[in-house]
Amino acid sequence: MRFRRNLLGSFLSFVVVIGVWQAIISFGHVAPYVAPTPLDAWRSIVENWSHLWPLTLTTAKETVFGFGAGAALGMGLGVLLSKRRFVQRVIYPILILSQAIPIIALAPPLVLVLGFGLTPKVVIVAWIVFFPVTVSVLDGLANVDRDLLMLARAYGASPWRTFLAIEVPSASASLFSGLKIGATYAVTGAIIGELAASSGSSLAMFQHAQSAQLDAAGVYGTTLIMTAVGMSWFGLITLVEFFTTPWKRRSIARRAGRHI
Amino acid sequence: MRLVSLSLYIEWVELSPVLTLSNTEKTFGALSAVARTSFSVERGSFVSIVGPSGCGKSTLFNMIAGLESPSGGSIELNGGDISGRTGHVGYMLQKDLLAPWRTVLGNITMGPHLTRGVTREDEERGAALARQYGLGEFLAHYPDALSGGMRQRVALMRTLMTDHELLLLDEPFGALDAQTRFEMQHWLLDVWQSTERTVLFVTHDVDEAIFLSDRILVLSERPGRIVLDLPIDLPRPRRTAMLTDAAFMGAKREILSLLHHESGEQ
Repeated sequence: MRFRRNLLGSFLSFVVVIGVWQAIISFGHVAPYVAPTPLDAWRSIVENWSHLWPLTLTTAKETVFGFGAGAALGMGLGVLLSKRRFVQRVIYPILILSQAIPIIALAPPLVLVLGFGLTPKVVIVAWIVFFPVTVSVLDGLANVDRDLLMLARAYGASPWRTFLAIEVPSASASLFSGLKIGATYAVTGAIIGELAASSGSSLAMFQHAQSAQLDAAGVYGTTLIMTAVGMSWFGLITLVEFFTTPWKRRSIARRAGRHI
Repeated sequence: MRLVSLSLYIEWVELSPVLTLSNTEKTFGALSAVARTSFSVERGSFVSIVGPSGCGKSTLFNMIAGLESPSGGSIELNGGDISGRTGHVGYMLQKDLLAPWRTVLGNITMGPHLTRGVTREDEERGAALARQYGLGEFLAHYPDALSGGMRQRVALMRTLMTDHELLLLDEPFGALDAQTRFEMQHWLLDVWQSTERTVLFVTHDVDEAIFLSDRILVLSERPGRIVLDLPIDLPRPRRTAMLTDAAFMGAKREILSLLHHESGEQ
């Protein structure tokens, strides 16, 4: 039920955004070469689809691979830093430093080192994604109920079993917050990487060309595609969260246990 | 000859105490939390510990549970030293500490989940326990859907599932309202009598202690030491009417006078 209501809410907000866009163009008498109507942008997407589709796939691939690498690195670092306080003191300032470097300034040297292929884009996306994930895992693990950990110890549970049975599920809510923040930023990283590489075929460069030709409808259409990649990925992460945390939305489970 | 010695041995095991503390003490730096304490708990008995807040009851329990090591003396369970070793007694606190992500059955089987992995037999046993003690309809519920009393029942079932003979219950009903608490006391006695466990119970509530126990240990202010070891001579099963019994009132008067004298008030 809640799932269907969420879906309806998303659809309505989409309608609102398109409606506001259309209203600004119509009532503001904006010239078509400055900004297109939603329908024009959509038409441009349809016309260029044969070009756009493979480029979209490439951007999606960069986003997904980069996110995967960043999330894995972020979770690993989060666990390591929460378990080893001294490592945390040494590494944490470095992590903050890594995020203080403007990512646009970081992209060109990365392209120089890693070339023009998939790798520099994946690295940039991972660079952006890992940080919120690390912070959320650190927070989640720091906020596990101390008494619950003590109870696990009283039961004679090993640290590893305690980690899997208590700490991971306790920290899952916080982890998903980090993953969702990472998911929204991931596509931005991919596009920055494509811009920095500035050669080869990519969504970013395609849009650059459209902009040079004063093709406003095309520029907006391509932006819509990029946004769609980011939102799809965010939606997928939300879906994973939805199905892995049933206790947040139900009061009764489908099954009492694994065997019964 | 052999038969005789075997039966003697069985008798000795039955009569020997489950838990024996000998000169057990705990200090944190210069602070003495528990003064040298010695007492035994008989097999199958229900013993309560009462005392003013901060008298070291929790420290005492943490030592018996193995979460903290005593600074001196020994703690023996069935004749073996368990100082500083966890996993030998059942432990339950005022906070139910149910995992919100596990169902009622999942929480009842938390012990095996934390130590070796839950088997089908564990789940069947847990479900049978739950059904026997009024939780049968709630097996698939998540804890957030349950009332405070129900949650404590689940927590006690989880403690029973660990199969330890000795159960440490640290103010398990302290957070419940009076009516629920009353129901839970009767329910606990029911569970205790049918499962033949030994219970060591901590409470602030003198009425609760007398109503439930075979014996009450009164602790002094910190550093805690036993100032009274009082047997409660009320017949079992306990009935609500006993709350106004002369023996009940006598025990209550004795404990209260000590507690108030000890805290230096009133």
